[in-house]
Amino acid sequence: MEGLKITGLVVDYGTFKLDSIDLNLKKGCITGLVGRNGCGKSTLIKTIMRQQDAVAGQILYNGKKFAENEVEVLNSIACVFDAPHFNIMAKPKRIYSLYKSIYKKFDSELYEKLMKKFKLPDNLRIGKYSFGMQKKYCLILALCQRPEILILDEPTSGIDPFDRNEVVGLIQEYMLDENNTVLFSTHITEDLDKIADYIVIMENGKITLDEEKNALTGNYRIVQCADINDEMRSNAIGIKKGMFGYTFLTKNKNVTGSGMQVKIPTIEEIFVHMLGENGTYSGGNQNLSYKELQNRGGL
Amino acid sequence: MHIVISYESGIPIYEQIKSQIRGEILSGKLAEGAMLPSIRMLAKELRIGIITAKRAYDDLCAEGFLYSVQGKGLFVSKINKQKADSFAVNEIRAKIKEVAAFAELNSVDVKIIKEIINEILGE
Repeated sequence: MEGLKITGLVVDYGTFKLDSIDLNLKKGCITGLVGRNGCGKSTLIKTIMRQQDAVAGQILYNGKKFAENEVEVLNSIACVFDAPHFNIMAKPKRIYSLYKSIYKKFDSELYEKLMKKFKLPDNLRIGKYSFGMQKKYCLILALCQRPEILILDEPTSGIDPFDRNEVVGLIQEYMLDENNTVLFSTHITEDLDKIADYIVIMENGKITLDEEKNALTGNYRIVQCADINDEMRSNAIGIKKGMFGYTFLTKNKNVTGSGMQVKIPTIEEIFVHMLGENGTYSGGNQNLSYKELQNRGGL
Repeated sequence: MHIVISYESGIPIYEQIKSQIRGEILSGKLAEGAMLPSIRMLAKELRIGIITAKRAYDDLCAEGFLYSVQGKGLFVSKINKQKADSFAVNEIRAKIKEVAAFAELNSVDVKIIKEIINEILGE
C-alpha cells in the first residue's frame, strides 16, 4: 500500500539544502518526524504542500505525480502549518465560508461539532484566540477538509496538557479510517512514543533515520553504568559522561554487567544520543543570518 | 476487557497487551467466540500505535488464542484445558529462567532460590 512517496527531493536556499530526501508515508499509519530546529522539517512540509519549489526529485501520491495533478492532490491533503496561514483578523465564520468554497469535501457538521467540543468562540477574531486555540482551530479546519493525508507541523506544541491529549485523540480518531495517513512533525517526542508507527529523524536537511517504531525501540537499549570498558565503548552510540557515571545508547540488546541499568529507550533518548554522536550535528539555525532565515520561512 | 499499559515496566507495549488479553481468555472472562475491538479502535482507546496494536493481535492469532474472519473482525478461539495449562507452565518456566539469570548476575547461590520457592509455597 502506497501513501505519499517522495524520491530524490532537493530544495536549495543557497545556504541551506534539503538533500535528496527519500520518504515513503505508509498508508494507514502515523509517521513521526523529529529533528532539531532548522534541520529542514518545515521546509520539507512546505515543499510537499507546494509552497516551496523543489530543484529536483518528485512526489507521488497513490502513484500519481503531484505536480501534474495539483488540484486533485491538494484536495486530498490537508496541512496544519506551524502558524495560521490565513488572515487572523477574520472571524471563524469568514474563514469557514472561505474554506467551504475552496474545499469540495468540507464537512460542516464536523466543523460545528469540533468547534463546540473545543469551546472555540465563533464571534471572536482568530487573532484574539490564544496560541493554543489558534492551533486547535487550524487542526479543525484541516480535519474538516476530510483529507486522506494529514500533515501536522507541531500540532501539540504550546497547548496545555489537557488539550494536547484531546488533539492526540482527534488524530487517532482520524486514523480509525484505514485509508488515512498522517505525517506528524513534533518536538514533543512523548506523543510519538505513544501513537507513532514510523519514526523519521532529520539532520541538516537529510533523513538520517527512518524506521518502524517498535523495531527502533526493540533494537536499541539505553544503558546507565558507573564505568565503561572498551568493548562497551565499541558498541555505544552517543556516550554521555556525567558526575555519576555514563549513559549511552547501544544496539547490543544483551548488554549486561553488575550495577548496570538497561532499559528500552524513548524516542527522545534515541534522538539525543544519536545526534550527540561524534558531533554529526553542526549548527542548524545558528550559522544563518537573519535574512537567510527569513528566506527559509524560519522567522 | 480490561487492559492497562505501563511505559515504565520495560516490557514492550505489544507484549503487555498480549499477555493481558491472553489472561482474560485463559481465565474465561473473554469467552469463546467473543469479538474483539478492531486494530484501530484498540490503538485509539489505548493511545498506542496502529502497528503496535496489529502486532499484539497478529501474535495472539499465531498462538491460536484469536482467529480472524475476513471482513468481520477478530474473535476468541476455543481454548482447551490442556493448551491453557501447557501455556501457563511455559510462562512460569520463562519467569523462573529470568530469576535464575538475575541471581547469576548478582552472584546469588541457586540453593537460595530453591529455599525461597519452598518458603513461599510452604513446603
